[in-house]
Amino acid sequence: MRSRARRPALAVVAATVLALPLLALVLRAFADEWRAPALLPQRLGLRGVRVAFGGETGAAFVNSAQVALLTVAIALVIAWPAARVLGERRLRRPGPVFLLLAMPLLIPSYAVGTGLTEWFIRLGLDGTTPGLVAAHLTTVLPYVTLVLLSGFGPRLSAVEEMGSVLGLSPVRRLWLVTIPAAAPTIGAAVLLGFLVSWSDYGASLALGAGRPMLPVVLLPFVGGDPQVAATLTLLFLAPAVAALVLTVRAGRRPL
Amino acid sequence: MRVVAGGHRAGRDRLMLAPAVLTILLLFGGALAGAVRTSLVPLGGEAGTDAWRTLLSDGEFRDAVRFTLRTAAISTVLAGVLAVLLAWAARRSGTAVRALLALPVPVPHLLVATLAVLWLSPGGLAERILGSLPVDLVHDQEGAGIVLVYLYKEIPFLVVLLLAAMGQGYRERDEAAAAIGVSPRQRLRWVLWPTIRGPLIVGCIIVFAYVVGAFEVPLVVGPSYPPTIAEYALQRSDADLIAGPGIAAAALLSTAAASMLLAALAVRVAKDPQGA
Repeated sequence: MRSRARRPALAVVAATVLALPLLALVLRAFADEWRAPALLPQRLGLRGVRVAFGGETGAAFVNSAQVALLTVAIALVIAWPAARVLGERRLRRPGPVFLLLAMPLLIPSYAVGTGLTEWFIRLGLDGTTPGLVAAHLTTVLPYVTLVLLSGFGPRLSAVEEMGSVLGLSPVRRLWLVTIPAAAPTIGAAVLLGFLVSWSDYGASLALGAGRPMLPVVLLPFVGGDPQVAATLTLLFLAPAVAALVLTVRAGRRPL
Repeated sequence: MRVVAGGHRAGRDRLMLAPAVLTILLLFGGALAGAVRTSLVPLGGEAGTDAWRTLLSDGEFRDAVRFTLRTAAISTVLAGVLAVLLAWAARRSGTAVRALLALPVPVPHLLVATLAVLWLSPGGLAERILGSLPVDLVHDQEGAGIVLVYLYKEIPFLVVLLLAAMGQGYRERDEAAAAIGVSPRQRLRWVLWPTIRGPLIVGCIIVFAYVVGAFEVPLVVGPSYPPTIAEYALQRSDADLIAGPGIAAAALLSTAAASMLLAALAVRVAKDPQGA
Protein backbone atom coordinates (compact mmCIF):
# COMPACT_ATOMS: atom_id res chain seq x y z
CA MET A 1 0.00 0.00 0.00
CA ARG A 2 2.70 2.46 1.02
CA SER A 3 5.92 2.84 -0.93
CA ARG A 4 8.76 1.05 0.77
CA ALA A 5 11.22 3.76 -0.29
CA ARG A 6 9.82 6.10 2.35
CA ARG A 7 10.81 3.88 5.26
CA PRO A 8 14.59 4.49 5.18
CA ALA A 9 13.98 8.21 4.72
CA LEU A 10 11.75 8.18 7.76
CA ALA A 11 14.33 6.25 9.78
CA VAL A 12 17.03 8.79 8.87
CA VAL A 13 14.79 11.69 9.88
CA ALA A 14 13.87 9.98 13.14
CA ALA A 15 17.53 9.31 13.90
CA THR A 16 18.68 12.88 13.25
CA VAL A 17 15.80 14.57 14.99
CA LEU A 18 15.25 12.24 17.93
CA ALA A 19 17.91 9.61 18.61
CA LEU A 20 21.13 11.46 17.80
CA PRO A 21 20.49 14.48 20.05
CA LEU A 22 19.69 12.20 22.97
CA LEU A 23 22.69 9.95 22.35
CA ALA A 24 24.91 13.03 22.54
CA LEU A 25 23.30 13.80 25.89
CA VAL A 26 24.34 10.40 27.28
CA LEU A 27 27.88 10.92 25.98
CA ARG A 28 27.98 14.43 27.49
CA ALA A 29 26.80 13.10 30.85
CA PHE A 30 29.74 10.69 31.10
CA ALA A 31 32.39 12.96 29.57
CA ASP A 32 34.62 14.37 32.30
CA GLU A 33 36.57 16.22 29.62
CA TRP A 34 35.20 17.19 26.19
CA ARG A 35 36.80 20.31 24.78
CA ALA A 36 36.00 21.81 21.37
CA PRO A 37 36.62 21.08 18.57
CA ALA A 38 36.93 17.34 19.38
CA LEU A 39 34.00 15.22 18.20
CA LEU A 40 34.47 12.67 20.97
CA PRO A 41 35.23 13.25 24.67
CA GLN A 42 38.89 13.30 25.75
CA ARG A 43 38.14 11.56 29.04
CA LEU A 44 35.11 9.64 30.30
CA GLY A 45 34.11 9.55 33.95
CA LEU A 46 31.44 9.71 36.62
CA ARG A 47 31.93 13.27 37.86
CA GLY A 48 28.49 14.25 36.56
CA VAL A 49 26.78 11.41 38.42
CA ARG A 50 28.62 12.24 41.66
CA VAL A 51 27.57 15.91 41.55
CA ALA A 52 24.04 15.16 40.32
CA PHE A 53 23.26 12.67 43.08
CA GLY A 54 25.06 14.49 45.86
CA GLY A 55 23.64 17.15 48.13
CA GLU A 56 20.93 19.48 46.87
CA THR A 57 20.29 17.86 43.50
CA GLY A 58 19.64 14.43 44.99
CA ALA A 59 17.09 16.00 47.32
CA ALA A 60 15.56 17.83 44.34
CA PHE A 61 14.87 14.55 42.55
CA VAL A 62 13.07 13.17 45.59
CA ASN A 63 11.13 16.43 46.18
CA SER A 64 9.97 16.65 42.56
CA ALA A 65 8.86 13.01 42.47
CA GLN A 66 7.05 13.35 45.80
CA VAL A 67 5.20 16.53 44.80
CA ALA A 68 4.28 15.13 41.37
CA LEU A 69 2.95 11.83 42.76
CA LEU A 70 0.91 13.55 45.49
CA THR A 71 -0.46 16.12 43.05
CA VAL A 72 -1.57 13.44 40.57
CA ALA A 73 -3.17 11.30 43.28
CA ILE A 74 -5.20 14.21 44.63
CA ALA A 75 -6.07 15.45 41.13
CA LEU A 76 -7.36 12.01 40.18
CA VAL A 77 -9.69 11.81 43.18
CA ILE A 78 -11.08 15.32 42.65
CA ALA A 79 -11.30 15.04 38.86
CA TRP A 80 -13.01 11.63 38.74
CA PRO A 81 -16.61 12.65 39.61
CA ALA A 82 -16.35 15.85 37.54
CA ALA A 83 -15.00 13.94 34.52
CA ARG A 84 -17.93 11.51 34.84
CA VAL A 85 -20.51 14.29 34.69
CA LEU A 86 -18.73 16.05 31.80
CA GLY A 87 -17.83 12.87 29.89
CA GLU A 88 -21.36 11.53 29.98
CA ARG A 89 -22.60 14.93 28.74
CA ARG A 90 -25.02 15.23 31.62
CA LEU A 91 -24.84 19.05 31.82
CA ARG A 92 -27.20 21.03 29.65
CA ARG A 93 -24.72 23.92 29.47
CA PRO A 94 -21.17 22.62 30.03
CA GLY A 95 -19.60 25.79 28.57
CA PRO A 96 -18.88 27.66 31.83
CA VAL A 97 -17.30 24.58 33.46
CA PHE A 98 -15.04 23.99 30.44
CA LEU A 99 -14.11 27.67 30.46
CA LEU A 100 -13.15 27.49 34.14
CA LEU A 101 -11.07 24.36 33.48
CA ALA A 102 -9.32 26.02 30.53
CA MET A 103 -8.39 29.24 32.35
CA PRO A 104 -5.47 27.90 34.43
CA LEU A 105 -3.97 26.39 31.26
CA LEU A 106 -3.73 29.85 29.69
CA ILE A 107 -1.98 31.51 32.60
CA PRO A 108 1.79 31.11 33.12
CA SER A 109 2.48 28.88 36.11
CA TYR A 110 4.93 31.54 37.33
CA ALA A 111 1.96 33.93 37.58
CA VAL A 112 -0.06 31.34 39.52
CA GLY A 113 2.90 30.78 41.84
CA THR A 114 3.52 34.50 42.34
CA GLY A 115 -0.17 35.11 43.07
CA LEU A 116 -0.37 32.27 45.58
CA THR A 117 2.85 33.37 47.32
CA GLU A 118 0.95 36.32 48.80
CA TRP A 119 -1.36 33.96 50.73
CA PHE A 120 0.94 30.99 51.25
CA ILE A 121 3.52 33.04 53.16
CA ARG A 122 0.79 34.12 55.60
CA LEU A 123 -0.37 30.51 55.96
CA GLY A 124 3.21 29.26 56.38
CA LEU A 125 2.80 27.08 53.29
CA ASP A 126 5.55 28.50 51.04
CA GLY A 127 8.30 25.99 50.43
CA THR A 128 6.30 23.14 51.99
CA THR A 129 5.11 20.02 50.17
CA PRO A 130 1.38 20.87 50.66
CA GLY A 131 2.01 24.37 49.28
CA LEU A 132 3.80 23.10 46.17
CA VAL A 133 1.16 20.39 45.65
CA ALA A 134 -1.62 23.01 45.84
CA ALA A 135 0.17 25.26 43.33
CA HIS A 136 0.77 22.38 40.90
CA LEU A 137 -2.84 21.23 41.33
CA THR A 138 -3.99 24.50 39.72
CA THR A 139 -2.71 23.32 36.31
CA VAL A 140 -2.65 19.54 36.84
CA LEU A 141 -6.32 19.26 37.85
CA PRO A 142 -7.68 20.77 34.58
CA TYR A 143 -5.41 18.52 32.46
CA VAL A 144 -6.39 15.38 34.39
CA THR A 145 -10.11 16.25 34.19
CA LEU A 146 -9.96 16.97 30.45
CA VAL A 147 -8.15 13.70 29.66
CA LEU A 148 -10.25 11.62 32.05
CA LEU A 149 -13.61 12.75 30.68
CA SER A 150 -12.81 11.21 27.28
CA GLY A 151 -12.94 7.77 28.97
CA PHE A 152 -16.52 8.14 30.19
CA GLY A 153 -19.52 7.79 27.95
CA PRO A 154 -22.32 5.48 26.86
CA ARG A 155 -20.03 2.49 26.23
CA LEU A 156 -18.60 2.55 29.76
CA SER A 157 -22.08 3.10 31.26
CA ALA A 158 -23.36 0.05 29.35
CA VAL A 159 -20.59 -2.18 30.70
CA GLU A 160 -21.22 -0.87 34.23
CA GLU A 161 -24.92 -1.60 33.91
CA MET A 162 -24.06 -5.18 33.01
CA GLY A 163 -22.00 -5.35 36.20
CA SER A 164 -24.94 -4.11 38.26
CA VAL A 165 -27.33 -6.58 36.63
CA LEU A 166 -24.90 -9.35 37.56
CA GLY A 167 -25.24 -8.22 41.18
CA LEU A 168 -21.89 -6.48 41.83
CA SER A 169 -21.87 -4.06 44.75
CA PRO A 170 -20.91 -0.45 43.81
CA VAL A 171 -17.40 -0.87 45.26
CA ARG A 172 -16.76 -4.18 43.51
CA ARG A 173 -18.22 -2.77 40.31
CA LEU A 174 -15.82 0.19 40.46
CA TRP A 175 -12.90 -2.14 41.09
CA LEU A 176 -13.77 -4.97 38.71
CA VAL A 177 -15.54 -3.14 35.88
CA THR A 178 -15.09 0.63 35.76
CA ILE A 179 -11.37 0.95 36.52
CA PRO A 180 -10.22 -1.86 34.17
CA ALA A 181 -12.48 -0.57 31.38
CA ALA A 182 -11.22 3.01 31.74
CA ALA A 183 -7.60 1.97 32.41
CA PRO A 184 -6.03 3.47 29.22
CA THR A 185 -7.65 6.85 29.88
CA ILE A 186 -6.73 6.75 33.57
CA GLY A 187 -3.16 5.89 32.56
CA ALA A 188 -2.98 8.77 30.10
CA ALA A 189 -4.41 11.20 32.68
CA VAL A 190 -1.95 10.07 35.36
CA LEU A 191 1.05 10.35 33.03
CA LEU A 192 0.09 13.75 31.68
CA GLY A 193 -0.62 15.05 35.18
CA PHE A 194 2.67 13.67 36.48
CA LEU A 195 4.66 15.21 33.62
CA VAL A 196 3.01 18.63 34.01
CA SER A 197 3.94 18.73 37.70
CA TRP A 198 7.36 17.09 37.17
CA SER A 199 8.46 19.63 34.55
CA ASP A 200 6.88 22.70 36.16
CA TYR A 201 9.37 25.50 36.59
CA GLY A 202 7.42 28.70 37.25
CA ALA A 203 5.26 27.77 40.23
CA SER A 204 8.09 25.84 41.92
CA LEU A 205 10.44 28.80 41.51
CA ALA A 206 7.91 31.31 42.86
CA LEU A 207 6.73 29.23 45.82
CA GLY A 208 9.69 26.96 46.50
CA ALA A 209 11.30 29.34 49.02
CA GLY A 210 14.66 27.75 48.24
CA ARG A 211 13.38 24.17 48.47
CA PRO A 212 15.20 22.29 45.69
CA MET A 213 12.99 21.07 42.83
CA LEU A 214 14.57 19.29 39.87
CA PRO A 215 13.84 21.79 37.02
CA VAL A 216 14.84 24.75 39.21
CA VAL A 217 18.10 23.06 40.24
CA LEU A 218 18.84 21.89 36.69
CA LEU A 219 18.56 25.23 34.89
CA PRO A 220 21.69 27.02 36.19
CA PHE A 221 23.84 23.99 35.29
CA VAL A 222 22.93 24.26 31.58
CA GLY A 223 25.16 27.28 31.15
CA GLY A 224 27.55 26.58 34.01
CA ASP A 225 28.35 22.85 33.99
CA PRO A 226 27.12 21.00 30.87
CA GLN A 227 28.15 17.58 32.21
CA VAL A 228 26.04 17.87 35.37
CA ALA A 229 23.25 19.42 33.28
CA ALA A 230 23.31 16.43 30.92
CA THR A 231 23.22 13.95 33.83
CA LEU A 232 20.31 15.77 35.49
CA THR A 233 18.56 16.01 32.14
CA LEU A 234 18.71 12.23 31.74
CA LEU A 235 17.19 11.88 35.22
CA PHE A 236 14.61 14.45 34.19
CA LEU A 237 13.79 12.41 31.07
CA ALA A 238 13.27 9.09 32.89
CA PRO A 239 9.52 9.58 33.64
CA ALA A 240 8.93 10.73 30.05
CA VAL A 241 10.45 7.49 28.74
CA ALA A 242 8.33 5.50 31.19
CA ALA A 243 5.31 7.49 30.01
CA LEU A 244 6.03 6.63 26.40
CA VAL A 245 6.48 2.91 27.06
CA LEU A 246 3.26 2.75 29.09
CA THR A 247 1.28 4.79 26.55
CA VAL A 248 2.37 2.54 23.69
CA ARG A 249 1.46 -0.56 25.73
CA ALA A 250 -1.92 0.93 26.64
CA GLY A 251 -2.43 1.86 22.98
CA ARG A 252 -4.77 -1.03 22.34
CA ARG A 253 -7.90 0.08 24.12
CA PRO A 254 -10.11 -2.68 25.51
CA LEU A 255 -13.23 -0.57 25.04
CA MET B 1 -36.70 7.74 33.70
CA ARG B 2 -34.23 10.50 33.06
CA VAL B 3 -37.07 13.00 32.75
CA VAL B 4 -38.75 11.89 35.98
CA ALA B 5 -35.53 11.97 37.98
CA GLY B 6 -34.29 15.17 36.28
CA GLY B 7 -34.24 17.44 39.32
CA HIS B 8 -32.58 14.91 41.57
CA ARG B 9 -29.97 14.05 38.91
CA ALA B 10 -29.09 17.69 38.27
CA GLY B 11 -28.45 18.16 41.99
CA ARG B 12 -26.23 15.10 42.11
CA ASP B 13 -24.32 16.23 39.03
CA ARG B 14 -23.61 19.58 40.65
CA LEU B 15 -22.38 17.81 43.76
CA MET B 16 -20.03 15.67 41.67
CA LEU B 17 -18.63 18.74 39.89
CA ALA B 18 -18.23 20.71 43.11
CA PRO B 19 -14.83 19.41 44.30
CA ALA B 20 -13.09 20.16 40.98
CA VAL B 21 -14.86 23.49 40.40
CA LEU B 22 -14.29 24.71 43.97
CA THR B 23 -10.62 23.65 43.98
CA ILE B 24 -9.94 25.60 40.78
CA LEU B 25 -11.97 28.59 41.93
CA LEU B 26 -10.08 28.68 45.22
CA LEU B 27 -6.55 28.13 43.87
CA PHE B 28 -6.81 29.92 40.53
CA GLY B 29 -9.05 32.68 41.83
CA GLY B 30 -6.79 32.98 44.86
CA ALA B 31 -3.72 33.24 42.62
CA LEU B 32 -5.30 35.99 40.50
CA ALA B 33 -6.48 37.87 43.59
CA GLY B 34 -3.04 37.46 45.15
CA ALA B 35 -1.32 38.81 42.04
CA VAL B 36 -3.69 41.80 41.88
CA ARG B 37 -3.08 42.49 45.58
CA THR B 38 0.70 42.20 45.21
CA SER B 39 0.60 44.63 42.27
CA LEU B 40 -1.41 47.20 44.25
CA VAL B 41 -0.08 46.91 47.80
CA PRO B 42 3.74 47.01 48.08
CA LEU B 43 5.47 45.30 50.99
CA GLY B 44 4.79 47.40 54.09
CA GLY B 45 3.44 50.32 52.04
CA GLU B 46 0.22 52.09 51.11
CA ALA B 47 -2.07 50.77 48.40
CA GLY B 48 -1.60 52.52 45.06
CA THR B 49 -0.93 52.14 41.37
CA ASP B 50 2.82 52.82 41.57
CA ALA B 51 3.78 49.36 40.31
CA TRP B 52 1.50 49.65 37.27
CA ARG B 53 2.74 53.17 36.47
CA THR B 54 6.39 52.09 36.76
CA LEU B 55 5.66 49.10 34.54
CA LEU B 56 3.91 51.03 31.79
CA SER B 57 6.57 53.74 31.63
CA ASP B 58 9.45 51.22 31.53
CA GLY B 59 11.04 50.98 28.09
CA GLU B 60 12.45 47.56 28.92
CA PHE B 61 8.92 46.25 29.54
CA ARG B 62 7.80 47.56 26.14
CA ASP B 63 10.77 45.79 24.52
CA ALA B 64 9.87 42.63 26.43
CA VAL B 65 6.25 42.78 25.27
CA ARG B 66 7.31 43.26 21.64
CA PHE B 67 9.89 40.45 21.82
CA THR B 68 7.52 38.04 23.61
CA LEU B 69 4.58 38.61 21.29
CA ARG B 70 6.79 38.28 18.20
CA THR B 71 8.42 35.02 19.38
CA ALA B 72 5.04 33.60 20.41
CA ALA B 73 3.34 34.59 17.15
CA ILE B 74 6.15 33.18 14.96
CA SER B 75 6.31 29.93 16.97
CA THR B 76 2.53 29.46 16.93
CA VAL B 77 2.01 30.20 13.23
CA LEU B 78 4.97 28.08 12.07
CA ALA B 79 4.02 25.21 14.40
CA GLY B 80 0.39 25.36 13.21
CA VAL B 81 1.25 25.36 9.48
CA LEU B 82 3.92 22.64 9.75
CA ALA B 83 1.69 20.50 11.97
CA VAL B 84 -1.16 20.62 9.44
CA LEU B 85 1.23 19.58 6.64
CA LEU B 86 2.75 16.78 8.74
CA ALA B 87 -0.62 15.48 9.92
CA TRP B 88 -1.89 15.53 6.33
CA ALA B 89 1.18 13.59 5.17
CA ALA B 90 0.82 11.07 8.01
CA ARG B 91 -2.96 10.70 7.83
CA ARG B 92 -2.78 7.12 6.55
CA SER B 93 0.35 6.10 8.48
CA GLY B 94 0.42 3.25 10.95
CA THR B 95 1.01 3.19 14.69
CA ALA B 96 4.82 3.28 14.40
CA VAL B 97 4.92 6.58 12.50
CA ARG B 98 2.30 8.10 14.78
CA ALA B 99 4.24 7.05 17.90
CA LEU B 100 7.43 8.51 16.40
CA LEU B 101 5.67 11.80 15.63
CA ALA B 102 4.32 11.93 19.19
CA LEU B 103 7.72 11.19 20.75
CA PRO B 104 8.71 14.77 21.74
CA VAL B 105 5.32 15.44 23.42
CA PRO B 106 6.20 14.07 26.89
CA VAL B 107 9.78 15.46 26.80
CA PRO B 108 10.08 18.50 29.11
CA HIS B 109 10.75 21.87 27.44
CA LEU B 110 13.79 22.39 29.63
CA LEU B 111 15.34 19.20 28.26
CA VAL B 112 14.86 20.31 24.65
CA ALA B 113 16.42 23.65 25.53
CA THR B 114 19.40 21.81 27.09
CA LEU B 115 19.78 19.78 23.88
CA ALA B 116 19.66 22.96 21.81
CA VAL B 117 22.56 24.40 23.83
CA LEU B 118 24.57 21.16 23.55
CA TRP B 119 24.12 20.99 19.77
CA LEU B 120 23.59 24.48 18.41
CA SER B 121 25.53 26.89 20.62
CA PRO B 122 28.92 28.26 19.46
CA GLY B 123 31.42 25.43 19.85
CA GLY B 124 28.53 22.97 20.09
CA LEU B 125 28.32 19.60 18.40
CA ALA B 126 26.70 20.84 15.17
CA GLU B 127 29.53 23.30 14.69
CA ARG B 128 32.14 20.64 15.43
CA ILE B 129 30.61 18.33 12.82
CA LEU B 130 29.90 20.92 10.14
CA GLY B 131 32.87 23.22 10.73
CA SER B 132 30.73 26.28 11.30
CA LEU B 133 27.10 27.32 11.47
CA PRO B 134 25.97 30.07 9.08
CA VAL B 135 23.79 31.77 11.72
CA ASP B 136 23.66 32.08 15.49
CA LEU B 137 20.86 29.90 16.80
CA VAL B 138 21.41 30.05 20.56
CA HIS B 139 21.43 33.27 22.62
CA ASP B 140 20.84 35.13 19.34
CA GLN B 141 19.29 38.59 19.33
CA GLU B 142 16.25 37.57 17.26
CA GLY B 143 15.23 34.66 19.48
CA ALA B 144 15.64 32.01 16.74
CA GLY B 145 16.78 29.47 19.34
CA ILE B 146 13.60 30.01 21.36
CA VAL B 147 11.44 29.51 18.26
CA LEU B 148 13.36 26.34 17.29
CA VAL B 149 12.90 24.76 20.73
CA TYR B 150 9.18 25.55 20.72
CA LEU B 151 8.76 24.17 17.19
CA TYR B 152 10.45 20.90 18.22
CA LYS B 153 8.01 20.60 21.15
CA GLU B 154 4.76 22.06 19.78
CA ILE B 155 4.59 20.64 16.23
CA PRO B 156 4.25 17.05 17.57
CA PHE B 157 1.69 18.24 20.15
CA LEU B 158 -0.47 19.79 17.39
CA VAL B 159 0.04 16.77 15.10
CA VAL B 160 -1.31 14.47 17.82
CA LEU B 161 -4.39 16.70 18.22
CA LEU B 162 -4.93 16.87 14.44
CA LEU B 163 -4.46 13.15 13.81
CA ALA B 164 -6.98 12.40 16.57
CA ALA B 165 -9.50 14.59 14.73
CA MET B 166 -8.66 13.05 11.32
CA GLY B 167 -9.90 9.60 12.34
CA GLN B 168 -12.48 7.19 10.94
CA GLY B 169 -15.27 9.76 10.51
CA TYR B 170 -13.04 12.07 8.49
CA ARG B 171 -11.86 9.27 6.18
CA GLU B 172 -15.45 8.22 5.49
CA ARG B 173 -16.55 11.79 4.74
CA ASP B 174 -13.53 12.36 2.50
CA GLU B 175 -14.16 9.15 0.54
CA ALA B 176 -17.84 9.99 0.20
CA ALA B 177 -16.93 13.44 -1.15
CA ALA B 178 -14.42 11.90 -3.60
CA ALA B 179 -17.02 9.37 -4.74
CA ILE B 180 -19.49 12.07 -5.72
CA GLY B 181 -16.77 13.85 -7.70
CA VAL B 182 -15.63 16.65 -5.36
CA SER B 183 -12.16 17.84 -6.46
CA PRO B 184 -9.17 17.32 -4.11
CA ARG B 185 -8.83 21.07 -3.57
CA GLN B 186 -12.51 21.42 -2.67
CA ARG B 187 -12.20 18.45 -0.33
CA LEU B 188 -9.43 20.27 1.57
CA ARG B 189 -11.70 23.28 1.91
CA TRP B 190 -15.01 21.55 2.68
CA VAL B 191 -13.99 18.29 4.38
CA LEU B 192 -10.50 18.68 5.90
CA TRP B 193 -10.76 22.24 7.18
CA PRO B 194 -14.06 21.83 9.11
CA THR B 195 -12.59 18.65 10.64
CA ILE B 196 -9.37 20.18 11.93
CA ARG B 197 -10.44 23.79 12.57
CA GLY B 198 -11.60 23.23 16.16
CA PRO B 199 -8.61 21.23 17.48
CA LEU B 200 -6.15 23.38 15.49
CA ILE B 201 -7.44 26.62 17.01
CA VAL B 202 -7.65 25.20 20.54
CA GLY B 203 -4.14 23.74 20.16
CA CYS B 204 -2.72 27.00 18.83
CA ILE B 205 -4.25 28.95 21.73
CA ILE B 206 -2.56 26.59 24.21
CA VAL B 207 0.76 26.89 22.34
CA PHE B 208 0.58 30.68 22.16
CA ALA B 209 -0.36 31.06 25.83
CA TYR B 210 2.42 28.67 26.81
CA VAL B 211 5.09 30.47 24.78
CA VAL B 212 3.98 33.84 26.17
CA GLY B 213 4.12 32.63 29.76
CA ALA B 214 6.95 30.11 30.09
CA PHE B 215 10.44 31.28 30.77
CA GLU B 216 12.74 28.32 31.24
CA VAL B 217 13.30 28.14 27.46
CA PRO B 218 14.24 31.83 26.96
CA LEU B 219 16.39 31.68 30.14
CA VAL B 220 18.43 28.85 28.60
CA VAL B 221 18.56 29.70 24.87
CA GLY B 222 17.30 33.29 24.64
CA PRO B 223 19.32 36.51 24.26
CA SER B 224 20.35 38.45 27.37
CA TYR B 225 18.35 41.40 26.00
CA PRO B 226 15.45 41.84 25.29
CA PRO B 227 13.94 39.58 27.96
CA THR B 228 10.55 37.88 27.55
CA ILE B 229 7.78 39.24 29.80
CA ALA B 230 8.17 36.35 32.27
CA GLU B 231 11.96 36.87 32.39
CA TYR B 232 11.36 40.58 32.95
CA ALA B 233 9.05 39.75 35.88
CA LEU B 234 11.66 37.42 37.38
CA GLN B 235 14.42 40.03 37.02
CA ARG B 236 12.25 42.68 38.69
CA SER B 237 11.42 40.55 41.74
CA ASP B 238 15.08 39.54 42.11
CA ALA B 239 16.41 43.09 41.69
CA ASP B 240 14.21 44.83 44.25
CA LEU B 241 12.72 42.93 47.17
CA ILE B 242 10.32 45.75 48.13
CA ALA B 243 8.94 47.23 44.89
CA GLY B 244 9.95 44.34 42.57
CA PRO B 245 7.23 41.80 43.35
CA GLY B 246 4.52 44.40 42.64
CA ILE B 247 5.96 45.22 39.21
CA ALA B 248 6.46 41.50 38.49
CA ALA B 249 2.85 40.73 39.43
CA ALA B 250 1.59 43.58 37.23
CA ALA B 251 3.67 42.32 34.28
CA LEU B 252 2.42 38.74 34.73
CA LEU B 253 -1.19 39.92 35.09
CA SER B 254 -0.95 41.78 31.79
CA THR B 255 0.28 38.61 30.00
CA ALA B 256 -2.51 36.63 31.66
CA ALA B 257 -5.10 39.16 30.52
CA ALA B 258 -3.68 39.17 26.99
CA SER B 259 -3.78 35.35 26.77
CA MET B 260 -7.35 35.16 28.06
CA LEU B 261 -8.48 37.91 25.68
CA LEU B 262 -6.85 36.17 22.74
CA ALA B 263 -8.43 32.84 23.75
CA ALA B 264 -11.86 34.44 23.96
CA LEU B 265 -11.42 35.93 20.47
CA ALA B 266 -10.13 32.67 19.01
CA VAL B 267 -12.97 30.64 20.54
CA ARG B 268 -15.40 33.10 19.00
CA VAL B 269 -13.74 32.56 15.63
CA ALA B 270 -13.76 28.80 16.06
CA LYS B 271 -17.38 28.94 17.28
CA ASP B 272 -17.15 25.36 18.49
CA PRO B 273 -14.45 25.30 21.18
CA GLN B 274 -14.60 21.53 21.74
CA GLY B 275 -14.30 20.76 18.05
CA ALA B 276 -17.11 18.25 18.44
